[in-house]
Amino acid sequence: MNFRKFLIAQSILIAASSVVFPFYLLLIKNVGDSYSQFGWAYGLFTLTAALTYPIIGRLGDRYGDKKMLLIYTLGMAAVMLLIPLLYEVWQVYMIQIMMGILGAIQKNTEKAFLARNNDNETAGERIGKYHLQISLWSGLGIILTGYLIDFLTIASLFYLISFVYIIASFVIIKRERI
Amino acid sequence: MKKSIVIVSTLYGIGLILSLWLYNHKPIFIEDVGQLLPTKVKEIHSATSEAELQSLVKESINNNEKISVAGMQHSQGGQTYYPNGVVIDMKKYNKILDYNPHEKMITVQSGTTWEDIQQKINPDHLAIRVMQSQNIFTVGGSISVNAHGRDIRYGSLIDTVESFRLLTPQGDIINVSRTENSNLFPLVIGGYGLFGIILDVTMHLTDDELYQIRSRSIDYQDYPDYFTHDVKNNENIRMHIARLSVAPDSFLRDMYVTDYELTENQNNLANYSELKRDTLAAPQKFMLGLSRYSDWGKNLLWDMQNKLYVGQDGNYITRNNAMRGDSKFMEYDNPSKTEILQEYFVPIDEFSMYLDDLRSVLEKEELNLLNITVRYVNEDNEAVLSYAKEDMFALVLLINQGKNKKEIEKTKKVIQKMIDVTLQHDGSYYLPYYSYPTQAQMDEAYPKNKEFFEQKKQFDTNELFMNLFYKEYSQ
Ligand SMILES: Cc1cc2nc3c(=O)[nH]c(=O)nc-3n(C[C@H](O)[C@H](O)[C@H](O)COP(=O)(O)OP(=O)(O)OC[C@H]3O[C@@H](n4cnc5c(N)ncnc54)[C@H](O)[C@@H]3O)c2cc1C
Repeated sequence: MNFRKFLIAQSILIAASSVVFPFYLLLIKNVGDSYSQFGWAYGLFTLTAALTYPIIGRLGDRYGDKKMLLIYTLGMAAVMLLIPLLYEVWQVYMIQIMMGILGAIQKNTEKAFLARNNDNETAGERIGKYHLQISLWSGLGIILTGYLIDFLTIASLFYLISFVYIIASFVIIKRERI
Repeated sequence: MKKSIVIVSTLYGIGLILSLWLYNHKPIFIEDVGQLLPTKVKEIHSATSEAELQSLVKESINNNEKISVAGMQHSQGGQTYYPNGVVIDMKKYNKILDYNPHEKMITVQSGTTWEDIQQKINPDHLAIRVMQSQNIFTVGGSISVNAHGRDIRYGSLIDTVESFRLLTPQGDIINVSRTENSNLFPLVIGGYGLFGIILDVTMHLTDDELYQIRSRSIDYQDYPDYFTHDVKNNENIRMHIARLSVAPDSFLRDMYVTDYELTENQNNLANYSELKRDTLAAPQKFMLGLSRYSDWGKNLLWDMQNKLYVGQDGNYITRNNAMRGDSKFMEYDNPSKTEILQEYFVPIDEFSMYLDDLRSVLEKEELNLLNITVRYVNEDNEAVLSYAKEDMFALVLLINQGKNKKEIEKTKKVIQKMIDVTLQHDGSYYLPYYSYPTQAQMDEAYPKNKEFFEQKKQFDTNELFMNLFYKEYSQ
């Protein structure tokens, strides 16, 4: 996987998750009926991420960043199909665990990929440019949502984003011609 | 590579279809402002036209489904839904159909709110005769509970209704008034949505008037006399409300009264007639917050309110503005707690003794009582489920409680005791709230409830229109 492709895939992924994040928060807040449940849902996410990082790191080294990113993208596409169906607290907990694992895959792979380049002298500049792109897309995603939500129901937003994740997976699968 | 794309697309397609199918079959939960009865319903439909409503009713008849009718859902005991039933949401059925300022009449679709009507009629210096203290409710929901408010001259809401059209359990549309299908008039009004859907309503309006606010503190023992002699007998006092202390230092003893007295010079009306908006009232909200958590807060709130309201003495206000009480400051989104209402009616001459008995019950019980307002209701025996067997005081209690089963049980015990005291004083209680009262209490407070439910079954033989209130008390 070359840098350019990585960048395109990441930009799509980050923009997509920025779009759904606020609505997802709203949803888990509404399903639970106390702040302690909300706390649990959030804690589960972080804890599963913490516990899976070491394993994910090793898997990344063995199978390559491309496969890891593909797992993340397809996983998120599937999760987006599940979110509109949630209505009980235990279901939210399950989703939070899945998202914890997937989130860890994404974060770890991103950093590992950036670290694997052998340009110690200019790494700062390269990562800076990378962050510029990613943040731009994420900002655009958030702004766009403000408008989108007037036209879509929250459920259809999750379906739409699920589709976006699938598109991203095609980008990752495609042979590097770009 | 192509192969992977095909595989991914196929699997995704299957996942998507499955998800959409499940989504369409996902249970829908609904609850009212009481937040104590989340219930799974089949569908929620909202309609904007008569034809749509009619076809929804016919569809439910064919599918053997149960229908509940919902306005703003400010009732608190599941009066607007039923397990696995269809909910018809009336909020968008809200056009003003006919308005005749000269005859002071208006015809509105039943999802219209009092606020909508006030906006329409205020420029012509007309006002509503009878409504709740706040203007957020729908006309259909208000009529179905036969609401009352600060007005003391026009009786209950039923007295101001000329006629309405009803979509019946058979799917027909009929006119109902005191002369046409007149047997239904006192059943549908105060009928909790059990006789069909009220489509549009024709009501009498009155003149907007300029009042001067008269506000003062008073001891509870002097209140009935004060009301009878100084308020009721003074034709110029058109509206009235009082508050009763829940602060530990003056519990159920201190009161203050607010009278709205017609000013001699009505020419100034226009200067005051701009409709005021609901303010966020952050200080009020904060004080209410303090009083939720401590006796200290309750004492403080009472002192502040006393100053605030008595301080309004002498101010001018129009009838329309007096009929748009703030409601935002009461909004409360604690995830594990909720605020519920209770309303008890007692005859005027029982009032002081009633409070003494209520006090001795409450001193032994644990109940987070935040506020009590007192209104006056005229004797009214027209509605079959009438709460005002004679001229009465109506005490509205705001109670903070937890949402879990244990808390509900705890509150139930206290509320049933309070209702016992109320009944001992020939009183009654209001029905739009949570089903805390026992069947025996219902039978005593509403001796005609058997007749009411009997008539319901005769008119709606298949029990198409259902709600949790009916299920609880009709057996
Ligand atoms: C904060 C607060 C303050 C209140 N103050 C007062 C007060 O001062 N005085 C007073 O009298 N009451 C008061 N109430 C009670 C209130 O009047 C009732 O709960 C009223 O029913 C609320 O109207 P709604 O539009 O929310 O009706 P909903 O709660 O939505 O419906 C109430 C009933 O009416 C039926 N219904 C609604 N629309 C129709 C229709 N179109 N056709 C047939 N049936 C229909 C429903 O099926 C249900 O049984 C208060 C309630 C709250 C929460």
